Amino acid sequence: MQMNNYLISISIRNLARQKRRNFFLGLAIAIGMMILVISNAFTNGISDVMFNRIMRWVTGHVTISFNEKGNIRREVCRDRERMISAIMESDGETVSEIDESIGTFAKAIGNGSADNIILVAVDLSKSVDAKKLKETEESFKMVEGSFYDLKRTDIENAAILSEEKARYLNVRKNDVIRLRFRNIYGQDQAARLTVTGIMKNSNIFMQPVVFSEMSNVRHVMGFRPWETGNINVVLKNPKKDAVALADRIHEKLTPGRAIIYGTLAYAGNSTPVAVTGYRSDNESLAKLAGILEPSGNSEIKKDGAFISAKLAKRMGINSGSRVLVNYPNKFEEKSSVFPIKITGTFNGDINDNLIIVNEADFYNAYYDNLPRVSPENTAPAFSLAETHPLSALLATEWILLKRTANTDELKKKYQDMGKQKWKATLVDVRTMYESASDILKLEGVLNIITFSAVLVLFFIILIGVINTLRMTIKERTREIGTIRAIGMQKSDVRAIFILESFFLTLISCLAGIALAFITMRLLSLVHFEMQDNPMGMLLIQNHLHFMPSSGGIVFNLLLILLMAVATAYFPARRAAGLSPANALRHYE
Amino acid sequence: MKYLSVILACAVFAAPLAAESMVTAILKSIEDQMKMKTDIKANVTLTQQKAEQGTKLIEMVYFRRDSDDSFLIVMQSPENEKGNGYLRVGENFWMYRKNTRTFQHINRDESIGGSDAKGDDFEQRNLTELYAPALDAGGKEIVSEEMLGKVPVSRLEIKAIVNDVDYPRKIYWVRRDNNLILKEESYALSGTLMQTVYFVKYTVIDGRYVAVKHIYIDEFEKGNKTIVDISNIQTNKLDNSLFTKAYLENLSK
Repeated sequence: MQMNNYLISISIRNLARQKRRNFFLGLAIAIGMMILVISNAFTNGISDVMFNRIMRWVTGHVTISFNEKGNIRREVCRDRERMISAIMESDGETVSEIDESIGTFAKAIGNGSADNIILVAVDLSKSVDAKKLKETEESFKMVEGSFYDLKRTDIENAAILSEEKARYLNVRKNDVIRLRFRNIYGQDQAARLTVTGIMKNSNIFMQPVVFSEMSNVRHVMGFRPWETGNINVVLKNPKKDAVALADRIHEKLTPGRAIIYGTLAYAGNSTPVAVTGYRSDNESLAKLAGILEPSGNSEIKKDGAFISAKLAKRMGINSGSRVLVNYPNKFEEKSSVFPIKITGTFNGDINDNLIIVNEADFYNAYYDNLPRVSPENTAPAFSLAETHPLSALLATEWILLKRTANTDELKKKYQDMGKQKWKATLVDVRTMYESASDILKLEGVLNIITFSAVLVLFFIILIGVINTLRMTIKERTREIGTIRAIGMQKSDVRAIFILESFFLTLISCLAGIALAFITMRLLSLVHFEMQDNPMGMLLIQNHLHFMPSSGGIVFNLLLILLMAVATAYFPARRAAGLSPANALRHYE
Repeated sequence: MKYLSVILACAVFAAPLAAESMVTAILKSIEDQMKMKTDIKANVTLTQQKAEQGTKLIEMVYFRRDSDDSFLIVMQSPENEKGNGYLRVGENFWMYRKNTRTFQHINRDESIGGSDAKGDDFEQRNLTELYAPALDAGGKEIVSEEMLGKVPVSRLEIKAIVNDVDYPRKIYWVRRDNNLILKEESYALSGTLMQTVYFVKYTVIDGRYVAVKHIYIDEFEKGNKTIVDISNIQTNKLDNSLFTKAYLENLSK
């Protein structure tokens, strides 16, 4: 240990002997390190802005989307609590927040001027911690009013919009904007918003956005209390947990069979009944005909409804009869009536209390008011083994789309989805890696580019290190001979030169890291006006955002030290291999 | 706007109305008028006037085969839309782009040729399956007799019984003598009047009255209106080859 300390002292003393040479060499290494740290912090910053400040608000880190009837504009989840439970049961520990994503495109009419906007719901009913409050204030810099004025209930539908949009619509604080949009059923709907605040938009994408409180937007869009739009999950550690959580949620959301248990009423008689739907694509219809064995020559059509032959006989129901099925609702203490026009009876030995309806009519009734299995219902539970040939042809609660790995696969999935005529709700679980894998690719590419550029820079610098060592060895040949003659071992001579390079690199890198932090701080103070530039979205409050990572810095430092040691090894070995006698005879 | 489902189908029979539910009887009568028994070909011209964009003329040829709910729209103008088409066969609805010669699946609520008309405006649906009489606080149907200009009309209010409609509440003014619709007001769920339609001209085709000119007034965005003109109506049976992708592709050759 004492010997090692001695070698370290000699190495550091030798560094000090060649101040000017080592200063310039160290400066080059420090600049290289500084560039590496800044570039890594910048790409990390972009990634942080995209995932934690943009995607976090727009899609969350994991999204569960619902497209009723496969319609991309009809995003409705009919049972919010069940979905939230599925998320929490999947791994609630990793979840930071669960947001409802509710919004719509709308035509807005201000004072003598009209324009398109995006109405976005903001949930201010949740408790807000100091960090979130700071984030909100950073994201929505108010010019007039306060962001929390959205909570006001003394005015009609409080709203906040961007400075540019307010100018275009010719509205100011307390003015009214009229909106026209499609509600969740596709109906033409109108609403009035009262401007309570005007914000400075941080980037071009925020210009068309108009915010209003969640309860107001839910109301005007036609959501009932138990319904919602897409669900966004924000994670504590998205890069680590997003995919695993999405996979678990996907597993939890495997749909069960969709059945309405109710009371069949016909001609003054009533009896418990189970109603389900059948798939109505041509292939399924052909298979159904073989399984249901409809009586007479009745054909299984896309708009049909078939009743068990035994039940039909018992109730006196014939083909063409109009029957009513009364069923209790899941979320309200009331019942709904499902009118069905029977088009035939089936003989297959499936269930004696069953009506099978085409999926279009079935899902209309089913989603309109989800059924409750009430204790007073005495209809025998309808269950089929998964292996039963009819099983795959009957309606499920929803259609769960397969998981995808990236944006390309997601796009293809949605293209395929558009080609089919769905009647059920399509449920998709996706992560930021699918929603924005291009952003992750961009981050990776930027990192590779900067890392490669800096490696080239270091390659040049290390040639300088080799050259310096060669000069040093030449200058100190007699000195090497002297210390070898008085008993220093070869390995110690080699270690002195390696340690000399090691310390030069270490000190320079530490200086480079310090310089990087100073430079990042200075660059962060520069104010950029990029409101009309899409790149403005990468700024925070019009300032560059750097996010240095300690792991990245340590990795780069170790890598450069390793390179420096490896580079110094060969000249050092040559120095150690000199014969003491020859070295002492050396003269220049 | 429910353009053609209302327009082309307004061939009118003077039907006696049932006394017990006047509104339902009128709706039934209008529905019967809407049910086309033959194929149809017609030229449709939409003149859209928008407050901030001026006037836009959109012309199209409309083919309809009632037996399987198919229709084909071939755009004639504006120039950038010429040759494009919309084909609906059963549940499939495609948009054809002449420039790329590609078909794309679209939804029923997609705009047709950049106009305010949507795919589902060209479908035929049963009025009585969509709407029922609206009732006042006393549970009575909201219907009255009044004059629309110099014409004696029945004013009746109806509400949607399904969600899948453009407007949840409507008011019709129909001629008392033959149930021709003369005016229609459509309201949003919030109660806002969104649109007024005037059926200004009817003609007789194959013994039926068909509304060939109507004016859609946008009540929400004042100054916007669309005038729909229908001409060259033919009710001959249409060739099956019309309702194919190949027909649209061949048009662009």
